[in-house]
Amino acid sequence: MPLQPWMKLISVDDHLIEHPRVWQDRLPAKYKDTGPRIVEQPLGEGRPDAQVWVYEDRIYPYIGLNAVAGKKPEEYGLEPVRYDDMIPGCYDPKARVADMDIDGVEAMMCFPSFPRFCGTVFLEAEDKELALACVQAYNDFVLDEWCAAAPGRLIPIVILPLWDAQASVREIHRVAAKGAKGISFPDLPHALGLPSVHTDYWDPVFSAVEETGMPLCQHFGSGGATSIPQIAPDAPFAVMINLMGLNSMHATADWLFSPALHKHPKLKIGLSEGGVGWMPYLVERAGYVWRKHRYYQNINQDVEPLELFRKHFHGCFIEDDFGIQNRHIIGVERITWECDYPHSDSFWPGSRKRAAEAFADVPDDEVHQMVELNARRFYNLPAAADKPAAAGVAS
Amino acid sequence: MAPIDRIPADDWTDQDLLTKDEAGERLDDEIVTVTGELDRLRAAGIGPLEQDEVELLTRRLEAMKAARASFRT
Repeated sequence: MPLQPWMKLISVDDHLIEHPRVWQDRLPAKYKDTGPRIVEQPLGEGRPDAQVWVYEDRIYPYIGLNAVAGKKPEEYGLEPVRYDDMIPGCYDPKARVADMDIDGVEAMMCFPSFPRFCGTVFLEAEDKELALACVQAYNDFVLDEWCAAAPGRLIPIVILPLWDAQASVREIHRVAAKGAKGISFPDLPHALGLPSVHTDYWDPVFSAVEETGMPLCQHFGSGGATSIPQIAPDAPFAVMINLMGLNSMHATADWLFSPALHKHPKLKIGLSEGGVGWMPYLVERAGYVWRKHRYYQNINQDVEPLELFRKHFHGCFIEDDFGIQNRHIIGVERITWECDYPHSDSFWPGSRKRAAEAFADVPDDEVHQMVELNARRFYNLPAAADKPAAAGVAS
Repeated sequence: MAPIDRIPADDWTDQDLLTKDEAGERLDDEIVTVTGELDRLRAAGIGPLEQDEVELLTRRLEAMKAARASFRT
């Protein structure tokens, strides 16, 4: 049977657009002029001004689009350049919940936009004291404003001051006490010039994550532009889109052959927007590699990658027919669902309908795990009220 | 103030946002679909099993119409 009415869709990968005053409302007065702020940027040629973020003395165009490598304003395309162009659900939590109700989604977790998926915009900061204040301000916005507007519907994930492990540890405990449920972490930190997961730099951070029980959420692409597959300059963008899961594969392989999971047995890792269909192959391949090649490398000699994968990881998908068909190899308990609102590749306003189609041939108990129960378990979310008896069925 | 070079640390994503125009078009399509579903249910006769579904569809339809109207203002 497909998606039942009492199954609540919990999406583990969505995004929010920060409203103009997120940082201006929270930073100390001495940082108002250098902290993130929205300014009007003329575009000329009879076009309305664009609203752009300015942080320290850097302009970040495209409030409506992540990525891009610093286009000049005259190169702006048709992407939304003003808040008025976007649907209010992008930046207004009340409107967000209304859109979730239309979409049939019970709860969602939202990654940042201006800070980038795990706060790496603050790595560029000249003033690291300001950068720390910005990280904390963002987290306070998520906890005290965005998610507070709809408790239980909007699930808080936070960012860290990645350049400072001890500051990250303090921030983890601070936000955990305020109710954070997940921590956004770069999928490939070494690509950002940060220590890799093969070093001991992150050990205090991972220990704090274990203590608080929050998963690390690694959104694909959060390792930055140098971490992604380097397609031919003349290749159509479809090539890149087709390879979107590779970052998640790379991140998983890094973890499986690092000492981190052996030192941190309670660490939970969520792979966001990378799909799940690739998991059986990657883990099988890791097993081959481990069996043949561990003896001459600094790799754990005793624990097979499959055991690590089953213990630590979960993934999610928007569309992944192969993954659903092979869910028993991946592990039904390792799979969660995502909506990716308000990105244009989401199925809004038909996410629930699309999910029903995807799960048409999947037994009820497995569907319920993948759309709701696994997310509740990984992110320590309260159990839903007992499901009502279906019409015509004796309770 | 001119944009300056940034470190290549942008998240990789082609994700653009739902604009009002695109969201409105999607709502237009879904409103037609749900209206058709309601018409079919009513034409087939609404018994106890269908009443809940009609109620949910009706509520969703009204919410979508309200959202659609808000995107036009």
